[in-house]
Amino acid sequence: MAVTKETLETLTNTEPARPRWLQAAIDFTRKRPLGALGAVIILLMTLIAVTAHWLAPYDALATDYGAMLASPSSQHWLGTDAYGRDVMSRIIYGSQTALIVGLGASLIGGTLGALIGVASAYFGGRIDLIVERFMDVLISFPLIILALAVVAILGTGLTNVMLAIAIPMIPRCARVVRSSALAVREMPYVDAARAAGFRDSRIVLRHMLPNVMAPYLIMVTAFLGQAILLEASLSFLGLGVQEPVAAWGLMLRGAAVEFAETAPWMAIFPGVAISLAVFGFNLFGDSLRDALDPRLRTQ
Amino acid sequence: MLQYIFKRVLLMIPTLFGVAIIIFLLLRVVPGDVVEARYMAQGSQFLSQDLMDQERKKLGLDQPLWRQFTSWMGGVLRLDFGLSMWTGSPITEEIKLRFALSLQLAIMATAVATLLAIPLGILSAIKQDTWIDYAVRVFSIAGLAMPSFWLGILMILGMLIIFKWLPPMVYTPFWVNPWDNLAQLIWPALAVGYRYSAVATRMMRSAMLEVLREDYIRTARAKGLWLKLILARHALKNALLPVITVIGLEFAFLLGGLVVTEQVFNLNGLGLLFVEAISHRDYTLTQALVLIVASFFIFVNFATDIAYAWLDPRIRFR
Amino acid sequence: MMKRLASLLTVAASAMLVMPAHVHAQKYGGELIFPVPSEPPSYDGHREETFGLIHPLAPFYNTLLRVDPNDRGGTKPYPSIAESWTASADGKTYTFKIRSGVKFHDGSTLTSKDVKASYDKIIFPPEGVGSSRKGQYADVASVEAPDASTVVFRLKRPSGSFIASLLSPYNFIYKADILAKDMHWYEKNIMGTGPFTFVEHVKGSHVVGKKNANYWDKGKPYLDGFRAIFIRSSSAQVAAVRGERAHIQFRGFTPADRDSLKAALGDKITVQESPWDCILMVALNHEKKPFDDKRVRRALSLALDRYQASEALSKIAIVKSVAGVQVPGTPYATPPEELEKIAGYWKDIDKSRAEARRLLKEAGAENLSFTFKNRGTPMPYEPLAVWLIDQWRQIGVTVKQEVIEPAAYYTPLRSGDFQVAMDFQCGYIVEPDLDMYKFLSVDRNHANYGRYTDRVLDEMYDKQSSATSDEERKKYIRAFEKRLLDEEAHYLMTLQWHRIIPHSSKVKGWTVTPSHYLNNTLDVVWLDQ
Repeated sequence: MAVTKETLETLTNTEPARPRWLQAAIDFTRKRPLGALGAVIILLMTLIAVTAHWLAPYDALATDYGAMLASPSSQHWLGTDAYGRDVMSRIIYGSQTALIVGLGASLIGGTLGALIGVASAYFGGRIDLIVERFMDVLISFPLIILALAVVAILGTGLTNVMLAIAIPMIPRCARVVRSSALAVREMPYVDAARAAGFRDSRIVLRHMLPNVMAPYLIMVTAFLGQAILLEASLSFLGLGVQEPVAAWGLMLRGAAVEFAETAPWMAIFPGVAISLAVFGFNLFGDSLRDALDPRLRTQ
Repeated sequence: MLQYIFKRVLLMIPTLFGVAIIIFLLLRVVPGDVVEARYMAQGSQFLSQDLMDQERKKLGLDQPLWRQFTSWMGGVLRLDFGLSMWTGSPITEEIKLRFALSLQLAIMATAVATLLAIPLGILSAIKQDTWIDYAVRVFSIAGLAMPSFWLGILMILGMLIIFKWLPPMVYTPFWVNPWDNLAQLIWPALAVGYRYSAVATRMMRSAMLEVLREDYIRTARAKGLWLKLILARHALKNALLPVITVIGLEFAFLLGGLVVTEQVFNLNGLGLLFVEAISHRDYTLTQALVLIVASFFIFVNFATDIAYAWLDPRIRFR
Repeated sequence: MMKRLASLLTVAASAMLVMPAHVHAQKYGGELIFPVPSEPPSYDGHREETFGLIHPLAPFYNTLLRVDPNDRGGTKPYPSIAESWTASADGKTYTFKIRSGVKFHDGSTLTSKDVKASYDKIIFPPEGVGSSRKGQYADVASVEAPDASTVVFRLKRPSGSFIASLLSPYNFIYKADILAKDMHWYEKNIMGTGPFTFVEHVKGSHVVGKKNANYWDKGKPYLDGFRAIFIRSSSAQVAAVRGERAHIQFRGFTPADRDSLKAALGDKITVQESPWDCILMVALNHEKKPFDDKRVRRALSLALDRYQASEALSKIAIVKSVAGVQVPGTPYATPPEELEKIAGYWKDIDKSRAEARRLLKEAGAENLSFTFKNRGTPMPYEPLAVWLIDQWRQIGVTVKQEVIEPAAYYTPLRSGDFQVAMDFQCGYIVEPDLDMYKFLSVDRNHANYGRYTDRVLDEMYDKQSSATSDEERKKYIRAFEKRLLDEEAHYLMTLQWHRIIPHSSKVKGWTVTPSHYLNNTLDVVWLDQ
């Protein structure tokens, strides 16, 4: 019996048909349970951030001087802060800040870094040398110190903090992407494109960038967790997001430390939220890195 | 080899120079200066523009930028960092004590990180994909996820509530009173070391996995765990290199990057000094600090590169 | 007879028992340890403006006059280097008798020459020498030292606040010979006449002083020495007191700190509190629309429920009393029942807010939104900003906070690059001339960040300053206050700061005052241990 198209289809259809993405998700879960756990945490966090408006029992900004520093109860599940604001609502709304800053900073930093890395690898020669040295210079500044300097120049606030976190990430991403791009550059199709007389910008954007997506994605996910942490640190120092915006790092500042003994919920829950979010991103990022680039595992 | 070292040393010079230029310019872009920080931070009402101009002149802030830069660089080349603009005393004196504290803390945290990372990494590799492996990985990733300042707050809170005891407030050099010294620094070292052990643990785990995949070790599988470990020891030496690199680079960062932890534990280290210097707009001190931390980092980088080249001659000819 | 003698002896004995106890109530010895939240940039009190200099360095020096160390009001002039003083009938000449037997720590004797040299440096600094308080003595024509024990200040015009200006704790008396050689010497060195001598300053760590055995005030100081530890983080300062590693912090703690210290240490902690001569105000930039409209400004003041805030915020921040232009409870302060008549101080907050909304509507600024610039100093700037923004939200005004680092904070304020901003006023002594100077028209005082010109207000200031009776002065101060806060609403007052000093009960002889600049000579402080 000749194998017809039909038999092939029936053969593959013996198992109930699953969409491809679901199958991929199941495989991923089976192979990397920790990564899947991370993904679940991220999904949950995103869901919370998107539905914060409906989910939060109180307005995150509403003060209630009659219920200052109230301990967890049926009215306020996670207690209230020094202004009588509901801690749970602020944590829920805080996830928006964390996600916006985390995503924003790592996308800006990662993308700029990737562009610089690819361009540097593509042009090579003197340009590469100069760009590399410049990245060396940037990388020699400790992360937080560069961020502090940027905040000092730009001022505080959501957008500026995002930039302050993104800038130190540029050289780190550029470096990793560059080394992958160097290999891509030697590929025949890049030579072919050049021979065909395509413009440099087209070759970089169309041919090289897509081929360094793996290291780019790995770097961006790795940055995400770090960016959330950095935002928390900056806000904790008073250099990040500003009151009355709900942000986790900000919630750990001032009164949370002062009243740590009598109202520990103020210091504990936002910290748990930060840790859990970063934990999720790290777990997922780690597994993604293993899945996308087995070579990187041993580096 | 000598040629390679020479080449790498030459490469360090433009990097350091770049760091110097960037921090110099960054500081001038930041609004405000040391004179404003000194006289206007309190919002004084009885203040004259004259006085501020005089002070600026005294500090050389009225000079054109290129002249300020060349005179600073001239000093640095003679290893003279000049005077702090805020306090007027020599920068070496300002930094000395803080440097000792930061260096000790960095060493202690690195020790904590290494002591955690190596056994945990090995254990995790040997027990790959068992619950032990997962537990170790969760433990180390959790360390990376928890803000170390939050961990610090919890530690202090715990000590306060449970033991009714707090670490000493003032830094005592180790040789003066080792007990007081350790009682103060062990906590931040634990908080930071735990965090930094995470990356090293992961490196250690994958290095170990690599080694375990070597054929002769696989064959030893039947002969029991201990033999496997003994055999692995030899192969491990090379595999340890990335682990050492990670630890080295983190060590360099610990020196100046512990701003928030220092704040929580009230440590008078380089990180807080940096924050203070920036908030006072103390240009000379900030520049010196950044240059020191960056050179440290660049040097560690250099040292690991040399070590790599020494172990793997191919690199030298790249 | 014997019996009588015996009873006499008993009386004498018991008298002796009582007597020494009374005379020697103060104990000698011990080292006072206190954290200082900021470190002095230089050692020159004439140049610096921070309590970070006063707390560790004031014990090394004396000033011409000082505030009575036992006066809780912190205003009573008290002799120090000057034994006594007289003012001429026209109020333009002040003559001070300099105490004899005052010695510098190097053994040399202090004379009027040293006082003159020090004040010349403060009032008439030569080119290149910084003096932050020069402007405060604009009325002084000359300082003279006719003989070794006399100093004469000649003024251009009479000034009601001249003596108060001499109480400044920054005006250390330096040695003339040293100043003659090097005007900058005192920036990096210490040589005074104070109750303690300088031992060491370890940068970033601490300053140590030890008892000056040859102090001119015999029997003082009581302490063997002191140790000022620089601790920036406030939680670490509290921890130091709590862990009994420090006795006292002289600037002030928060209500939370006070409660946790009291809860942990009970009787081992003594709490002293006082209204604090510092206040945060809201500067409304009159050059920016719509803040040129007094209806808008009044509305922003009317939105504030100051009484509720007083109760609520005093639990979490270092503020308490509802205040006008003078520290509540001080001689020239408006009594509460009169203050209630000022717009924004009405007891009925609903009525206030309705009026606020009406005013905004009338001014066409119903959906007002603006950026509020605030200084990056957490306490009490942050809680007050959170409170203000929430209060304004309740009349439909949307406010975004922009926090600026302390060092850069006054740059936008001075250049007028802001709409609404937090402003600050803090004095070492409660004195209407000094406290209200802030609000004069912008051409008379460039630290007026409201950037307005109001000649009526200026005139009221001048009238109160030259008033001859207390009653008259009070009248003008009230009128000034009414115009500033109500009619024109140039500035909005938040709450008066509240100074809370919970200290080890071992610390005796120290009295809280409305200023954290005062009372740090430590000559009268002793430790009960």
